Amino acid sequence: MTVLQEDIAQLIIDTLNLEDVTVADIPPDLPLFGEGLGLDSVDALELALALQKRYDIRIASDSKDARQHFTTVATLAAFVQAQQGA
Amino acid sequence: MSEQVVQDRHWSAYKERGSFVLMRLTAFSVRVFGRRLLAPVLYLIVLYFFASARTARRNIRQYQTYLSEWSGNPALKPTPGRVFQQFIAFADNLLDRLDVWRGRLRFEQVQLIDPSGVRPRLLRSRQGGRGEMLVVTHLGNPDVCRAMAELSEQVPLNVLVHNRHVAQFNRLLGEAGDRSMRLIQVSELDTAMMMDLSQRLERGEWLAIAGDRVPLNDGRQVTVDFLGHTAAFPQGPWLMAGLLRCPVNLLCCLKVEGRYRIYLDAFLESAQWERGRRDAAIHEWVQRYADHLAGQCLIAPQQWFNFYAYWQPVELPSHKETADAH
Repeated sequence: MTVLQEDIAQLIIDTLNLEDVTVADIPPDLPLFGEGLGLDSVDALELALALQKRYDIRIASDSKDARQHFTTVATLAAFVQAQQGA
Repeated sequence: MSEQVVQDRHWSAYKERGSFVLMRLTAFSVRVFGRRLLAPVLYLIVLYFFASARTARRNIRQYQTYLSEWSGNPALKPTPGRVFQQFIAFADNLLDRLDVWRGRLRFEQVQLIDPSGVRPRLLRSRQGGRGEMLVVTHLGNPDVCRAMAELSEQVPLNVLVHNRHVAQFNRLLGEAGDRSMRLIQVSELDTAMMMDLSQRLERGEWLAIAGDRVPLNDGRQVTVDFLGHTAAFPQGPWLMAGLLRCPVNLLCCLKVEGRYRIYLDAFLESAQWERGRRDAAIHEWVQRYADHLAGQCLIAPQQWFNFYAYWQPVELPSHKETADAH
């Protein structure tokens, strides 16, 4: 797990008040929605807001890409990195 | 069946064009004719509306029945006269709205009832305080936001609406010299919109949104008890408040004894839900909001201007999970 991935996992826990969940419980490849962590669309919105603030990035609202970026912690980290590099 | 569909048209089918046409009428015909000449015309229109719209009469009768039963006050029971009075109240309300839009209804004429001190907080936002949310209703005069803009003195007020004519409304507002009030169209909660609203709050701007009408094609609704019967209310305002983590206040403007009163009430100190209790929290808030609204109906029983079937079960579109928020 990279530092950024760990950071994002912690952000997910803090933002969504996931009690009894630690960073170790959210491996980079765990699906965030549905079966995996069980987040839903409102959680995603909450998370997107937190990510935008924390990393000073823009998340396009309706692109299909945006949805794919939210698949796992790993995809999120890659997205954040790409945005910050841009 | 198809007849039923036509009769129980969704409120937005009436509203979309209606308000804008009304405002055009305001900006133009009042200037030309003046209120005294326009009043009889409007009364005629409303009289025609009363005579022809059987569904609207039935819906008002239903509202009056529920209100009377819920409050245990037989004096509120519907009679043909009382149903008619409610239509007349609507005509009066339209005329008042014309005045509001022309800036004729001054703040000094409005009585402010603000037991929990919402206005001082509003004014404090000018000095770097964070903005808050106002949930408004269609009981009484919904255009009061205009007077509210004056009430807020320079604190920008963003009115969130589901209306496509936002640009035109804003142009009219600009023409009327109103710079502190702005309409923003919200169709769906998405990240860009939420980010924008969040930044507005940080800048000390306030947000106003209606809490009593379910937008068309929006599965995000919650059914609660209103006047003793089940009615659907939108989840949107409460989701938004929770996501923005901001305080929520209620705003309502009623005409009591010939004078407008603005009721401001603090409602939620901070909209937040515990993990896994979001739906329960929202349900609890909306029920409390519906109870509050019911209480206000008793203050001005004739000023309920929802002429569509308020208590009809609204059909849920197939709910798309996870994806639609982005």
